[in-house]
Amino acid sequence: MAALLGEVSWFCCGSAWGPCGTAGGGACGTCRSGNYQHAWPNTSDACLAITRPDACGITGMSRRGCGFRHYTTNLCNGARIGTTIADCGPQTDLFCGERTCCGSACGSNRIIDLTPAAYSVIASLSTGLRPCSVDTV
Amino acid sequence: MHQTLDRRRLLATAALGGVVGATGLGSLAPEAAFAADAVAVEPGMPDPNFAEGRISKISGNMLLVTGSDTVLHSIRITDGTSIWKLHPTTFDRVAVGDGLYARGVRLPDGTLAADSVWVNIVNLHAHIASVGRNVLHLDHKGQRIVAHVVTGRSAAVYNGTPAVSDMSLLRVGRHVQVLGAWHPDTNEIDIATVYAAA
Repeated sequence: MAALLGEVSWFCCGSAWGPCGTAGGGACGTCRSGNYQHAWPNTSDACLAITRPDACGITGMSRRGCGFRHYTTNLCNGARIGTTIADCGPQTDLFCGERTCCGSACGSNRIIDLTPAAYSVIASLSTGLRPCSVDTV
Repeated sequence: MHQTLDRRRLLATAALGGVVGATGLGSLAPEAAFAADAVAVEPGMPDPNFAEGRISKISGNMLLVTGSDTVLHSIRITDGTSIWKLHPTTFDRVAVGDGLYARGVRLPDGTLAADSVWVNIVNLHAHIASVGRNVLHLDHKGQRIVAHVVTGRSAAVYNGTPAVSDMSLLRVGRHVQVLGAWHPDTNEIDIATVYAAA
């Protein structure tokens, strides 16, 4: 898979407090906020029917199952994190065309959500959204 | 950002060096903190330098936190710790009962020396059920969330455009991402940023 450019955000899962308390273990049943894990929009036909990255014109988003490794780079600072698939998401089609930039480094469309443990390695949780690239090596 | 975190980590560990001088606790030496930071975490695995849960006790500069999985964490706040609670804030604004995520350096005694603590932070994906005066009612995974607009703080980002304080373009039925701060033991939050598709 060639590196995919887009946007990264974060989500909670597993045992949690507050509004996250109902999050559960995700589509794979293994998701934990404290683990290096992520949600991917194409984990199955059922997942893809919900996330619909094609609706935003995204091609090349490979089908990957639970436990598959991706590496996400924050384009604002070059920080990189390796994570495994634990859930289906983000719901890409709900934000088609959305664009996030840090200076001239930009990403369009939501392609990956990281757990808080993973996102906080590459950015502050208070940023909420960052341009990123995602690859498999 | 990474440079900022590195600098913050340096400040945190430097502050711990001050603790060493004050208390004689050898295990808190800065060298030990940097050594602990060198631990590599495999994708998929838990990060020992990260903690989440709710604050059960505050003692001096220590937060005693009960993880959502019932694991107990001791989190040390230093002069270099960055604290967020709707906005960057200070240790005296942190309270028992608050939820948090913390990242730092796990010391040999099991304490987490915090670089960053995000208090009550939530990042919700929801639909707007109704819009009131300075409030949004959100549907989030079958739950109703009352999201308050905080004057001078809350901002909206419409389809990636620069953040603005004007919330008037938010519409009932639209999907939004809301970054904010939870009011403990309620279904209410304060809004930091609302991300909305155009």
